[in-house]
This record gives sequence, C-alpha cells and structure tokens, in this order.
Amino acid sequence: MKECVIHREEHGHLDILHLDGSLDAYSFPRLEAALNQLRETNRNRVVLDCAGLDYISSAALGALIGFARRAREQNGDLKLAKLSPKIFNIVELLGFHKILEIHNEVDQAVKSFVG
Amino acid sequence: MNTESALCFLFMLLSLALAGALFFLVARNRRLRAMRDAMLQEKEVIYSFVHDVSEVFIGDGSADMDQLLKRVLFYALRTAKAGAGAIYLRGEGNKLEPRAITGIFPPLSGRPDPGIDRAVSKSQHVEDMVRRQPVVFGEGLIGTVADLGTAELIADAERDVRVPQYAEDFLKVRSLVLVPMRFQQEVMGVLAVVNRVDGASFVQSDLNLLQSLADQASVSVHFVRLREALDAKQRLDRDLEIARKIQSLLLPKHLPRIPGFEVAASNIPALEVGGDYYDVIPIDETHWGLAIADVSGKGISGAIMMAICRSIIRSTAVGETSPSEVLRAVNRLMRADFTEDMFVSILYMVLDTEASTLTVARAGHERPILFRGDGSRASEVVESPGVAVGLGLPEQFDRTLQDRSVTLRAGDVVVACTDGITEAMNARQEEWGVENFLEAVSVSASEGAHSVINNLQQRVVRFIGEAPQYDDMTLIALRKLP
Repeated sequence: MKECVIHREEHGHLDILHLDGSLDAYSFPRLEAALNQLRETNRNRVVLDCAGLDYISSAALGALIGFARRAREQNGDLKLAKLSPKIFNIVELLGFHKILEIHNEVDQAVKSFVG
Repeated sequence: MNTESALCFLFMLLSLALAGALFFLVARNRRLRAMRDAMLQEKEVIYSFVHDVSEVFIGDGSADMDQLLKRVLFYALRTAKAGAGAIYLRGEGNKLEPRAITGIFPPLSGRPDPGIDRAVSKSQHVEDMVRRQPVVFGEGLIGTVADLGTAELIADAERDVRVPQYAEDFLKVRSLVLVPMRFQQEVMGVLAVVNRVDGASFVQSDLNLLQSLADQASVSVHFVRLREALDAKQRLDRDLEIARKIQSLLLPKHLPRIPGFEVAASNIPALEVGGDYYDVIPIDETHWGLAIADVSGKGISGAIMMAICRSIIRSTAVGETSPSEVLRAVNRLMRADFTEDMFVSILYMVLDTEASTLTVARAGHERPILFRGDGSRASEVVESPGVAVGLGLPEQFDRTLQDRSVTLRAGDVVVACTDGITEAMNARQEEWGVENFLEAVSVSASEGAHSVINNLQQRVVRFIGEAPQYDDMTLIALRKLP
C-alpha cells in the first residue's frame, strides 16, 4: 500500500492539487478530505495534476465523478491533467474520458476554465 | 502581691493555656476530620470508579468504548474537581482523536475560530471545534504527553506559552492536567482536564490521582479495543462468507453446449471478493449471449449489485440480438440503485451460430481479443466504444455505446477477462500485463477454449506466487470448432 501525498496550489479562483503516489481504497480518503474541504469553502474549480500518480483504482475514479458533478452544479469543475499512459489506459477503458475533462498539461486545464 | 492574687494569676494563666490547648485540639481535630473526609472522598471516588469501570464489562459481554470513556471522564472530573475534560485515543496512523468530551473543553491547539460569536450553543460549538481537530502524535500539549508518555501539570496555565490564551471568558484555560493512558509499553491516549470548579489551581495530588485513574482505565480501554478489533474481524469474515456464497450462487454451475462452438470460463475470487461475474445465456435457437462484468464495490454490496446486474441482463437478453441494446437497458434499470461512485464494467457479446458472427458491446470493460485459428497466430483487439454502466448521464451512455461485429472462422478463439487478470501483481509489485496474456493464449489457442482458460489461469497464478490476490480474476473463452 502506498500513500498519496497531496500538495495544494492556489491559482486565483481555482486550486491545483498535485498528487504524488497511489490512489486506492486506502489512500483515497485523504484526497476526498482535501476535495471536501475545498467544496466547503466554495472553491469548486479544481485541477488534479496526476504527473506523480502511479496508480488509481477504479473505485477512486468513480468517486471523482461525484466531485465533478457537484462542482459543475456550482459552476465549477474537476479536471485531470498529466496522466501517465498507464493511468490514461484505465481512464479510457472505463470511459471516464467521456465524463471528466482530461488535459495533457496543467496549464491547459487551468486555461480551460473560462471567466 | 499576696498569695491570693498570685494564685488568681496562675489560675488565669492555666486557663489560658488550657483554652489554647483546647483550641489547638479542636482545630487539629477539625483539620484531621477534613483530611479524613477528603481521604474518604478520594477513597469513595476510587471505589466508585473501579466499580463503574468493571460495570462496563458486566452484562452481555459487549463493551462499548464510548460509554467506557464517558464514565472514565466523569470520574476523572469528579476526582480532580475539574470543570471540563476530554479523552483522546490513538486512532488511524499518527492521529489522536477526541473520543469523549465533558464540559466546555477549549481546543488546546489554539486555532482561532471566527464562528464562535454566531454559534447558537456555545458549548456545542466548542465541542464540535475540538472534535474536528484530531491531534497529531508528538505535536502540541496533548501530542507531546502521548509521545513522551509522561504526565503534565500546568498549575498556572495563563502564564504558560504552550497553552492558548482565549479572549472569551468561558474558553479561558486557568489550570490544566494531562495524563497519558498507558498499557504495558504503549500510550493509547491522553486524559486531559481543565479548570477546577472551585477556581483553585490543580496540584500534584490531582495529577497523581488522575494518573492512577488513567492507569486503571487503560486496562479496560485496552481490552475494549481488542474486543472491538475482534468484533470487526468477525463481522468482516461473516460479510466475506456471505459475499462468497452469493457470488458462487450467481456463477453458472455448467456452461451450456453451443452447437459448433466450445465455451469455457473460470473465476478465482480474491480474498476480499471483488464482484466479478460471467454468464452464458441462450437468446434464441441461433443466438447466445456471453457476459463478463466487474462491479466496482466489494464484499456484500458488490455481490448484491452483481446479482441485480445478472438478473437484468438475463431478463433483457432473451430475444434481443443487439448487445448494446441490452446494455442500454441494464444502464437504465440499474442507475436507480447506484450511488454516484458505483459502476459496473460489462462486456456483452452476442454469438450468432448460423452466421458465425460475434457482436460486441463494451461498457467500460476490458476489450476482448480475437486469435485467428488459421495458423498465423495473429491476434486482434475487438474495439468498440462505451462507458461503464452507472457513469455519466444516461444519454451519454446511450450515445457512446456501439455494436461491433466480427466473423469467426474455424479455430478462431475469442478471450475476455476482467482487470484482475491483466493487473495481477506479484510480490515485486510487477503487473502481469497484456503481453503475458497474449502469449499465454497464443500457445494454447489451437488446443481449445478449456485449454486456453487452464493455461491462462495456471500462468497468472504462478506469476502472482506468494503475493496476495487483490481482485477477482475472471476469464471467458469461445472457440469456433474447426
């Protein structure tokens, strides 16, 4: 079991969460807490920088959809950036790329938030 | 001076001495009585404490940690005449969680809270504040007591830099005692009390008494914790047993015979039972449905989702030769029972034995692989777009999903699996991967569907070796007889 270290970077009205490690049932609650905290403070524009992510369980991906949906209800969104080929495979296989916005670079994801 | 007045003086002196002695005796007596009362009170406190702690274990044998801690805290406050207190227990990782709070116990980590003025119930608000702030082992007053395992008496807390100084009167910490709760060599938590009700400062004897209370309580806490762990393990074992039973009931006992074809399948459940499923369903005289699915939940909830999924596929499959139509129906009917992080990846294929075609619809599942039986050992991935059942909006699901057909020739083998196979890991955290999968199939494809399944299963089990199996491993293979 590996941990996931989350480093938050404030970027005006949006937040970039840099993920480092693995996201599975064991480590997901930490990201969940971070996302919940953002939502509680009405910060609904989030980019997950997945460059340092070496594994994500399908259940963790499922939970991200819920956050994205709630963020969209508040005019925000949850977007993914810098996925490794391996993680993109999982995302693509399950069809998550049809539901979550995915960008090659963090900058692109940041710019895609308009207004 | 005559003898009479001398005697009178002596008498007066004597009565004065006597009165002094009497006064001294009465005062001493009173002091002794007060001491005796205090000792009796302490004795009573300890007796009733020991009695109360033992009470927790009497009865049906189910010991409740929160109730135990509440009692311990009640007696701790009574012993030390403290106005408020809390018990922190070591939880997950390096955190100490407040498990019992009595009175207005101010946060000792001293973070300002702007909401306090607006709060309707101040005491509830303070308690919520404390409960929301677990203490990190080794940090702050509580964390340090837990880390070092030594008690701390801060008689004059208003002059101590380690204690937060609040402006609000009801949050002021005037005096404070913290004692570790130890069992054998391990610190399990910290008992903290603040502010004597009589306004005096805590003294060393308060600390001593609290420490002996904490020592007594720690034994009970240790055993309740053991019992909780045991109960949780038994519940989990029971859950797993039920989940396994459900799963084994849902998987087909025998696969039907399909004219001109051979079909084989296998399922190796993981220790935690992952929620995989496969099925072979007669649709009409010349059509057969082959399903393989992976539910995102584990344990009982996963098994129940799987049961629902199986029933819906079975009931919609009959008479329907388009696999994407079946999956659309499954998505429509299942969504209602899903929480937002639940989903099922399903591969559903319809075999037409007359036309010798296989039509595939893929809802977020691993793609099936077709191995040509013409001796070329060529393999191709059968591609079709789709998202997992339960993900996104229904319109999105319906729009994305498409049927794709392939023609099967003599000796061709189609193999499908769940991610438990390709993502199987060995002790060195290496993945088995698609390459190994393809290799295993290509060497056995000419020997038939059963041989393909056996070979895959053997190889992946050998690869995993001693490492624990994290996910269910499910396989299904179809071969057109030469």
